[in-house]
Amino acid sequence: MGQTRREFLKTSVAASAAATVGLPISQTAQAATRDAEAGWQWDKSVCRFCGTGCGIMVATKDGKIVATKGDPDAPVNRGLNCIKGYFNGKIMYGKDRLTQPLMRMKDGKFQPVSWDQALDEMEKQFKKTYKEMGPHGVAVFGSGQYTIPEGYTMAKLMKAGFRSNNIDPNARHCMASAVVGFIQTFGIDEPSGNYDDIEHTDTVVTWGANMAECHPILWARVSDRKLGDEENVKLVNLTTCSNQTSDIADSEIVFKPGTDLAIFNYVAREIIKRDAVNKDFVEKHCVFATGPYDIGYGMRGTSEYAYDAEKDTQAKELKVTLDKYEAIAQRKKEGDVIEQKNRAKPVKHWQISFDEFKRGVEPYTLDFVAELSRGDADESLESHKEKLKALADLYVEKNRKVVSFWTMGMNQHYRGSWVNEQAYMLHLLLGKQAEPGNGAFSLTGQPSACGTAREVGTFAHRLPADMVVFNGKHRARSEKIWNLPDKTLNPKVGSHITKILRSMEDGSIKWAWVQVNNPFQASANANHWIAAARKSDNFLVVSDPYPTVSAKVADLILPTAMIYEKWGLYGNAERRTQGWRQQVNPPGEAMGDVWQGLEFAKRFKLKEVWGEHNVPGLKSEGFEDGKLPSVLDDAVAMGYSPEDTLYDVLFATKDNKKVAWPDPAVAKGHGNHIADKLGDGWFPEKALFDEYRQFTVNFQHDLADFDTYMRDDVRGLKWPVIDGKETEWRFNEKYDPYVTKGAGFEFYGKALKATPTGDLDKPTSKEKKKLAGKAKIFFRPYAAPPEQPDDNYDLWLSTGRVLEHWHTGTMTRRVPELHRAVPGAQVFMNPNDADKRGLKRNDVVWIESRRGKVKAVLETDGRNRPAKGYTFVPFFDESVMINKVALDVTCPMSKEEDFKKCAVKVYKA
Amino acid sequence: MTAKSSRREFLTRSAQGIALAATGGLVWSYLLQQQAQAAPHAIRPPGAHDEVDFNAKCIKCGQCVRDCPYDTLKLAPAGDSVAIGTPYFIPREIPCYMCIDIPCVKACPTGALDPSLEVIEDSRMGLAVIDIENCLSWQGLRCEICHRECPVQNKAITVEHHPRKISKHAMFVPLVHSDACTGCGVCEKACPTEVAAIRVVQPELVQGKIGEHYRLGWTIDTPITQDFKPQQRVDEQPAPATGLDYLNQGDL
Amino acid sequence: MAADHKTARIGPNGKPVRPFVMPADLPGKLKVWRFIIYRRIVQLGTLLLFFGSAHWGWTVANEPVLIGNLSASTLLGTVPLADPFAVLQIFLTQHVLETEVIIGAGIILLTYTLLGGRTWCSWACPINMVADLSAWLRRRLQIKDRIILSRNVRYTVLALSLILSVITGVAAFEWVSPISMFHRELIFGIGMGWMAVIGVIIFDLLVLRDGWCGHLCPLGAFYALIGKMAPVRILFDSPSCTHCGECARVCPEPQVMNLIKATEAGMIASGECTNCGRCITVCPEETLCFGLRKQNGTGYESPQKLESHQ
Repeated sequence: MGQTRREFLKTSVAASAAATVGLPISQTAQAATRDAEAGWQWDKSVCRFCGTGCGIMVATKDGKIVATKGDPDAPVNRGLNCIKGYFNGKIMYGKDRLTQPLMRMKDGKFQPVSWDQALDEMEKQFKKTYKEMGPHGVAVFGSGQYTIPEGYTMAKLMKAGFRSNNIDPNARHCMASAVVGFIQTFGIDEPSGNYDDIEHTDTVVTWGANMAECHPILWARVSDRKLGDEENVKLVNLTTCSNQTSDIADSEIVFKPGTDLAIFNYVAREIIKRDAVNKDFVEKHCVFATGPYDIGYGMRGTSEYAYDAEKDTQAKELKVTLDKYEAIAQRKKEGDVIEQKNRAKPVKHWQISFDEFKRGVEPYTLDFVAELSRGDADESLESHKEKLKALADLYVEKNRKVVSFWTMGMNQHYRGSWVNEQAYMLHLLLGKQAEPGNGAFSLTGQPSACGTAREVGTFAHRLPADMVVFNGKHRARSEKIWNLPDKTLNPKVGSHITKILRSMEDGSIKWAWVQVNNPFQASANANHWIAAARKSDNFLVVSDPYPTVSAKVADLILPTAMIYEKWGLYGNAERRTQGWRQQVNPPGEAMGDVWQGLEFAKRFKLKEVWGEHNVPGLKSEGFEDGKLPSVLDDAVAMGYSPEDTLYDVLFATKDNKKVAWPDPAVAKGHGNHIADKLGDGWFPEKALFDEYRQFTVNFQHDLADFDTYMRDDVRGLKWPVIDGKETEWRFNEKYDPYVTKGAGFEFYGKALKATPTGDLDKPTSKEKKKLAGKAKIFFRPYAAPPEQPDDNYDLWLSTGRVLEHWHTGTMTRRVPELHRAVPGAQVFMNPNDADKRGLKRNDVVWIESRRGKVKAVLETDGRNRPAKGYTFVPFFDESVMINKVALDVTCPMSKEEDFKKCAVKVYKA
Repeated sequence: MTAKSSRREFLTRSAQGIALAATGGLVWSYLLQQQAQAAPHAIRPPGAHDEVDFNAKCIKCGQCVRDCPYDTLKLAPAGDSVAIGTPYFIPREIPCYMCIDIPCVKACPTGALDPSLEVIEDSRMGLAVIDIENCLSWQGLRCEICHRECPVQNKAITVEHHPRKISKHAMFVPLVHSDACTGCGVCEKACPTEVAAIRVVQPELVQGKIGEHYRLGWTIDTPITQDFKPQQRVDEQPAPATGLDYLNQGDL
Repeated sequence: MAADHKTARIGPNGKPVRPFVMPADLPGKLKVWRFIIYRRIVQLGTLLLFFGSAHWGWTVANEPVLIGNLSASTLLGTVPLADPFAVLQIFLTQHVLETEVIIGAGIILLTYTLLGGRTWCSWACPINMVADLSAWLRRRLQIKDRIILSRNVRYTVLALSLILSVITGVAAFEWVSPISMFHRELIFGIGMGWMAVIGVIIFDLLVLRDGWCGHLCPLGAFYALIGKMAPVRILFDSPSCTHCGECARVCPEPQVMNLIKATEAGMIASGECTNCGRCITVCPEETLCFGLRKQNGTGYESPQKLESHQ
């Protein structure tokens, strides 16, 4: 007790610093630290932020988190953190933490209400809409930051309970293009490799991934690899805006937005020209494929809801005139007007021959691609050409191992799915895939984009373990595991997140629940959606720990527990599932999302939801009348009563109730505010996880059981986990038990493993040709971005992140230190462009597009250094709500919004 | 009163007066010295002359304070640690945001802020110094906020990549370069540690100096002189022999 | 009144000596107080202009009204103004000054050379309000004068200011001046500057009547020297004077009310007069008024009465 607070802090800081550097620290300092930390209890956990999935240790005392540290045993980060991770312990203690449900009253102001009042109103509004509009009138905005039990609870409640597929996560804006790329190429989601590829490889190519800021800890590993062998290890950064990732790179290739499509094809053409195709690998393990080009841009097909200024961009959804480059790239004539006929079926594709593939990439010569793709007008064409050539050299070089990393630059792209497939195209052509140090590796943005959004299937078209709602067998398997009557599950794909927003605007969705995300700040073209949310006949519920933009436009706000206030599991980008226990109780009346879902489920009886429903547009085998049949009779036959609640039937089932809480062996003294509040003696997170696990086992997605992930000696496991062993590299016989013995490699994913065949332009035979065990090498052409700078809106705008803030800043901006460090979003611009407009650094400027405008401070000399004609604005700052400016074009296949390309003008405010 | 006594009284009074004035003057000048040295290491506005000249020239009018658009500058109130009435700033509170038009210097009527400062990057308000024991980046954490926020990024603060002994994560260590650091203090403000691990101080407090007699071998290219001009040896009177004391005294 | 029963004194001009009587009605009182009201308006107005420009962004034609403080400032974004005494001290520290501040000092110097040097003291200096408060309290509390100090000490202080500026290399008075300390802190924020004000009050109240302004202040001394030449003066109409002494009683610098010298000059000739105008309003005979310098033989022949005697 003799120690003052200051001394105490000093010694603890010194100790952790010294421990990480490995400096010896004095015995007295160690003793002082131990004294100061007497009564602290440490437990393992996971970082709340990005998809890297760093392990952290959390110390609690007297019901509060008192410290965190990087987990030295976590293989991802080995005790380190980035500056966001450093502040994990502080995100829960913002001054304006919500602790009571808040309801918007008649006067338009929020007032505190009880949970009962809140849930009563929510139920009343839900039942009104559900009765009037059916399962498709309600929706849930889910999240890639849901814990696995949370995502599972909500997906099951929506899909099995309410028979609605209108649940879609913000991961739609983050990883959907990657998913399409994986499924179309491999037939199964998620990367074949893992982070150890970094230590095994000789070459890291980043395509639209500012890893230095957005995957800081992984970038430290990449940098370490570079330092370990500076001569041989090469780093190339392909980007539209010079950034921090270029600082240690050997080469920085600044390209014009959208022309990554052409660069990939140039490299593919080189691989073929230089006879570097790994023929053996390709023949054994791959087929070639392509699809239609006229698939639109994911905008609405009607201009009914567009502002006048938006109409010219929107018109391109139906018809585009090819420019010079697009014409060459697509083997057509400049000026051809192309009707976008395949908007409804963008994902269709067919197998082609290698010769057809060759013909496809033939126009992508160095001259053509260099001229098209040069992104920095100040760089000579020659220099750009040389860099492209050197890039091809690296890929082609025999025995050189290559890892391609990408994130939002490729996913948030009007042709995001194409460009993802192109990444695999290179690696498959070269046979540099699915082995240590070789592979195309899609990084994720969110902590559980993989673990929850994708694996659990909180997307509008998905079921757990890569199954989909429009596949009858998948529905049947799910209905069996979930113990549901036949035909309970709705085969019609629900609304993706952008469509939910659009539907709230056009009146086809009137009740929505936002969980673990902030769509009204994070979705492009936000002015529309904010207005839609406030429409009087829409009812919006927002669950959040803090008052966010989305909460501000809600009708009801539910106070929510944060990460260390509940039990949970996340799955990171390398298929690693990691769990943690509840460390502290949530403040006030805040409750975890699992409890909110379960409590809502208690308010619905089977007879209210399992009757017959009209589903407009439903076309599916077995549902010929366009209706979801009543399954109540079958339910009764299965032993359910129409009076049973969804809570009884879906969650607190007989089996689940056997999973008892308290569970001292696993909990080791930790609490569970959800189990306690439910009070019926079961352990929902564990029961639901283990139930979910049934979907994965022997289904190529095997997870371990809940207790394993909670073990002290486990720091997450990479699925498939077979016989307790994780899988390091999938599809590779050496590492992956799913691969048939003797096959060497096998791309065993089951989805889309039979397609029609055809030539480059069209399918020529409808007969489906099987390709079991093989991956597809797609030819995808260059297509021009639908909105490009013109005389009026003369600059490109890209949005993105900064290292210090997470997404919309709702947590990190409440950490005083991070807020002090980066208090507001700036607009990054080339100094020449600023001069030309009479602007200087630190001026306040307007950034205006066809859709809206915002004010920001101008930065011409900062961390991002755009070439002439480009601007970049981070989206974390709600006072610089750049999504009012951004364009809601999506990849038509993945429905992921393109936050990286639109046209703006910038002028002095 | 006689003339004599009045004369004596006059002398006495004069002497008293002089003594009083001298005492007063001494006390006063002591106070001035104390004041002028009050905070020789205060962080001054851009263009401020060295502390002695600045203290002399500053008229304490506060026009620089008024013209600072960020409320960075303040006048030291009486009783502050900084010389009374002079402008200074505390970077951790509000740093200098390095206005391109340098309004504070323009506002200065006396030239205490040097009007010849035309490019803000040339100003030297102080020098950022990193406490590498408490800097997160120096421990391996991915912070480097100082580098990313530095307005003279990649010149005043650069990041070097070093291997880290205990894991396969490179360290991204920030380094400050005195030839480009303006001492604006944006880094100090932004530093996320509880007490800033990068601070702006007056360079003389921390900067050393390599001896004039030595040049670092790799810093400038110095070819061997081709046309050497030897100096003529001049015959000098022999000076008294040196070293005798040592040679002749003491035992071995 | 009691005076009516006494034998009326007769002044040197043969008229009976009348005492000053404070009028009972408000308009009458306001007339007596008019200069103090004007002075407070000017003093506080100046302060307000500084404060408003600094904190409320007061502008005229997009230019800030008055930026800086009494040491140096800029009027309407263009006209520089500066304290000539401060500038002189800085000059003596052997530092080259910008033209701007020299012009500013020139403008102020010229202004007070015309208006009367110590007009500064009564009409602009913020410490004057403090000193007046002290003097008023001292009268109310009837504190007796105990210590006597020559009013010429201020010239010694003035000399010391200049010498010490040379020796120490900093503007000696500027670093201890309670005037700028007080003014700066009124405008730029609160520090220990209030201590200077309290110091002046206590000193004036308990130690020495008119102690700071009348005895020590080197800035006043500086302006007194300048003020000797000023054309604006308090004129003295000797024939009407009954030597009642009311003027000297209210004067903060009573030594300037030397009626013999005033009779000779036809005005209050001393530079130490602060043109506060108290004497004018208490004079029962309207002997005193503001006017332009009357200089026997060398200067202005016909005095123009500016304010009084209408």
